[in-house]
Amino acid sequence: MSFIVGTSLLAVITALACALPGVFVVLRRNSMLVEGIAHAVLPGIVVGYAFTHDLNSPWLIVGAALAGLLVVLANEWLIQTGLLTGDAPQGLVFPALFAAGVILITLDFNHIHLNTHVVLIGDLNLAAFHTLVANGVSIGPSYLYVMLAILVVNVAFIAIFYPKLKVTTFDGQFATVVGMRTKLLNTAFMFLVSVTVVAAFHAAGAILVISLVVVPAATARLISKRLSVMLVVTAFFAVAGALGGFWIAYALNAATSASMALFYGLLFIAVAFIDRLATGFRRRRHRTVSATKAGEKAVSQDHRLARRGSEI
Amino acid sequence: MIDPIEFFGNHTFRMVFLGASVIGLVAGALGSFAYLRKQSLISDVIAHSALPGALLAFLAAVVVFGVNGRNMLGLIFGAVVTGTLAALFANSIAARTKIAIDSAMAISLTAFFGAGMLLLRIISNGPFTGKGGIDDYLFGNASVITIADLATSSAVGAVALILMLVFWKEFALRTFDPGLSTLLGFRSSVIDTLMFVTIVIAIVIGVKAVGVVLMIAFVVTPPAAARQWTSTLPGMVILSGTFGAMGSGVGAYLSVSLGNVPTGPFIVLTLFVIFLISLLASPRRSVIITALRRARARQALRRELLTETTDK
Repeated sequence: MSFIVGTSLLAVITALACALPGVFVVLRRNSMLVEGIAHAVLPGIVVGYAFTHDLNSPWLIVGAALAGLLVVLANEWLIQTGLLTGDAPQGLVFPALFAAGVILITLDFNHIHLNTHVVLIGDLNLAAFHTLVANGVSIGPSYLYVMLAILVVNVAFIAIFYPKLKVTTFDGQFATVVGMRTKLLNTAFMFLVSVTVVAAFHAAGAILVISLVVVPAATARLISKRLSVMLVVTAFFAVAGALGGFWIAYALNAATSASMALFYGLLFIAVAFIDRLATGFRRRRHRTVSATKAGEKAVSQDHRLARRGSEI
Repeated sequence: MIDPIEFFGNHTFRMVFLGASVIGLVAGALGSFAYLRKQSLISDVIAHSALPGALLAFLAAVVVFGVNGRNMLGLIFGAVVTGTLAALFANSIAARTKIAIDSAMAISLTAFFGAGMLLLRIISNGPFTGKGGIDDYLFGNASVITIADLATSSAVGAVALILMLVFWKEFALRTFDPGLSTLLGFRSSVIDTLMFVTIVIAIVIGVKAVGVVLMIAFVVTPPAAARQWTSTLPGMVILSGTFGAMGSGVGAYLSVSLGNVPTGPFIVLTLFVIFLISLLASPRRSVIITALRRARARQALRRELLTETTDK
């Protein structure tokens, strides 16, 4: 496999692995919590590196992910104290953890070779540098298989817990009333997000990984009304954005994740704009036929209520 | 440890101390309003989005005007423009689409920051004078603060504080009772914009010394700490400003004394310690006091119930 193919494939797989859990992150309004997780894993990565000396080690990924989970749990605890207001609990813990990570790196703790650029935006080309060779044939960057494993885990988790994730996302109170362990599921899910963020850290860094998680799902949210549709559309935007961003970066000789983040942002604006135009057009057409539809609407009300569970 | 006389005798150390304290004071005082309006995290968006503005100002200064690219006034101007644009962009996504504010903030933050990282790459690859160390905008470098920088950021910060004092009543009313403020005929859009601009100013004057990544801690942490000690608005603003200035000064002093420790991250840790102490052990509202009060109430109730049963 050539270097360019391997690297672009890595971009696509990383984008997919991040974007699929992103659907639930966006729907649960936890986007800025992911921002916190992405910063908080830095000290976890630095300390974990002291033990493993391998940034792709599964132990390092899981260990560092615990640091990310710390932000989630601390956020819940801070809200529970009732002493803080608004979104401040989300913004208090992660800067301190990130600062600790930066200090550890500056002090050259265990000689981890991370410069500040890589910490913030990652380096996809560097991540793809180490290739696997099987029977004398290159089968792509070894990091590709780490991300592939994460993608498989994410897809499996979403597939297994799909009904539960759906109910807790859309009607948490109902889920609690019928006896679901909503808190456990939420913690498990956020831990998985944290694992994904750590794994993607190499390629996308502390700040831009949040773009990979949130923006494709948010873009899909604009135009989809059902959860299953939203998952598929999110995957589509993730792949399109990864390829677009990768080739722009290649042409400009710039950092891939930065150009991916910008490309994702522009894609979101374009879709939002088109959706607005389309909605305006539909509304104008709707007005002429709405008089005749008014009667049917009352009848279909019961059907819609019955169907509501599966709709966003 | 360096003793104070030696510390303040050194010009660079004095600049680091004063520069950090001014940033802490202004950000702490104005952060109170962001905290009370429950919009602390917007400061993260503003801080990250200051990067492309600061870099565009650098490019404009070097290429168009042929002056020093690190000009503090230019930096502040550029950063205020992009920081405000990013905040407005996030708010308008939340208002015009079905995307919630947390995802909107994530989209805006990563798009602007991605653009900033691309600009950073362009600048470090290009033939621009004074581009060395331009990376400092990310994590800040307190030791490069000049007297002119200090004077400029103090003056600009003072303007923001004076604006706050002049419009004190309007800000307070809009913060605590937006409905009444509109009813009384205050233009909400004007007051909101004014309040936002003061917060943006408080954030961008720290970009050079602290960097865009950690500025959020200067805006979020001091108010959250101050809130545990006071329940009046003037008390909150004064105490938060004091905590900010004190934490920054102490953090700067310690980081210089310890040597080789980056100032910005160390200040963030100092501020976090102040917050932790406040949250756990402030005399009126804190975790420990609440627990004590609850235990005492439980005891009183038990005593009451026991006397009731023995009376019968």
